[in-house]
Amino acid sequence: MKFFSNILLQTSRNLQKTWATQFMTLLTVSLSVLIFSFFFLIYTNMIKAGERLGDDLRLTIYLEEEPVLEMQSQLVRKITNFNQVEEIRFTSRDDAYNRLATQLGDNVDVLDDLDPSFLPPSIEVYPKKNLSSLAQIKRFSEYLSTLPGAIKVQYGQEWIERFNYFTKLLRIIVLLSGTLLILTTTFMVAYTIRLAVVARQAELEILRLLGATNGYIRTPFLIEGFLQGLLGSTLGLLALFFLFRWIELHFSGPGFLQLVEFTFFSPTIIGIIIAASITLCTGGSFSSMRKFMRI
Amino acid sequence: MDTPPAKKSIVEIVRATKIYTPDVVALEDISLSITYGEMLFLTGMSGAGKTTLLKLICGMEHPDKGLVEVAGKDLNRIKGVEIPQLRQQIGMAYQDFKLLPDRTVAQNIAMAMEVSYQSIRTIKKRVIELLQKLRMEHKHDALAGKLSRGEQQRVTIARAVANSPKLILADEPTGNLDSKTTRLVMELFEQCNISGTTILIATHDEGIYKKSENRVLELHSGRLVQPADRTISTPNNMP
Repeated sequence: MKFFSNILLQTSRNLQKTWATQFMTLLTVSLSVLIFSFFFLIYTNMIKAGERLGDDLRLTIYLEEEPVLEMQSQLVRKITNFNQVEEIRFTSRDDAYNRLATQLGDNVDVLDDLDPSFLPPSIEVYPKKNLSSLAQIKRFSEYLSTLPGAIKVQYGQEWIERFNYFTKLLRIIVLLSGTLLILTTTFMVAYTIRLAVVARQAELEILRLLGATNGYIRTPFLIEGFLQGLLGSTLGLLALFFLFRWIELHFSGPGFLQLVEFTFFSPTIIGIIIAASITLCTGGSFSSMRKFMRI
Repeated sequence: MDTPPAKKSIVEIVRATKIYTPDVVALEDISLSITYGEMLFLTGMSGAGKTTLLKLICGMEHPDKGLVEVAGKDLNRIKGVEIPQLRQQIGMAYQDFKLLPDRTVAQNIAMAMEVSYQSIRTIKKRVIELLQKLRMEHKHDALAGKLSRGEQQRVTIARAVANSPKLILADEPTGNLDSKTTRLVMELFEQCNISGTTILIATHDEGIYKKSENRVLELHSGRLVQPADRTISTPNNMP
């Protein structure tokens, strides 16, 4: 108990003496956590959105002629031979026409002058959820285009490809901002502690002569690193939360964000980010002491 | 440090030599034994090696040759946690004070007790007690850097005795003090000595050891010599 009260007293003195540097470091750590968690939040939400889009994935094979029943079962066999599918649905010319008419709603009269059989018959294939990567979808699509009577296969490849590249880009940004977080937290805190150690060299020397143990001298610096990590990450995450709420409030309604259904981090992820920041800052403080403290 | 057995040495120096780079011989072939509870004086001209001897005893410097033992520990061999443990038992009043100018008088004195994790209440009480003894209670919250040299000297003495160490080393403790304040400081040392603390005072001030019956050691050019006006006393012919 006496150990902790003395150590806390020493820590509070240190913080009072170097509050300006400590404050700047705290801001840097907060900003780094904010940048990293901002991109990480977008990335995790994009991954979730990708999973949801994967659930709705549908490949449409347009055919020259409507297949007869025997042909239909042959096509089903060929499709399932290549990959397990959730569902296969055949759409006749009439069904396609009726669906379009329903979609047009009040504007259905634009179809008046058209032949009801102008739309091609098609097969809609809903693949299993394990078909997740773009390459797998492409391979499946190429196979489907070789089916007898197939004219064209569509699955919204342009959109999926763009989404895929966007997710890749986000992954790179997350990695870069993660690296920035590691560098700033570790090096900034290490540098701050180094400055504090150098500024207080005379005091540390006196403490050493008076018989202060390594624990007595080092623990306050470690606590400073710990506090930088804890407060910095908490402030960064709080700022992100308020930014998230603001975006939610002002961009809610139909649109992209509604499609993506943005959610904030789970308590576990928040805990991991805070714990990682604390570890990095305390580690930075520890490494700085090992290098610059002669005890 | 356990309860000292009678007449056992707290400091044992055997043929210690200290040479500063490149070839300044600060101490040469010094042998000295100080028993528990003894109070003695170390005299000599400036540059005779008094401060170096005190530094060897408190472990700030190591001898190039010879042995220095404090409380049975060879200072050349102690490692790890033994070093701070030993230092907590030695109170050193430095000639250059070694105070923190941006800390208050009370905080400077308290440092010696804080490092041994004493309770805040005990520390506050002891600091006030020492300041009263040295007639400096009104300087409790003054910054050490704003004090006169005489006041700073008293603060460094208060810090040296604050933790009730087993051994006090005082380097010119009255160098900046008037006779009245010198008397106060010596009374404080005497009180500590009566309660069992071993005290070694390095001084120029003949006034504080001339009439004393305690042992007086004299250093001359790094060697222990017989004082001009008295026999070099040994622990065996101590009063």
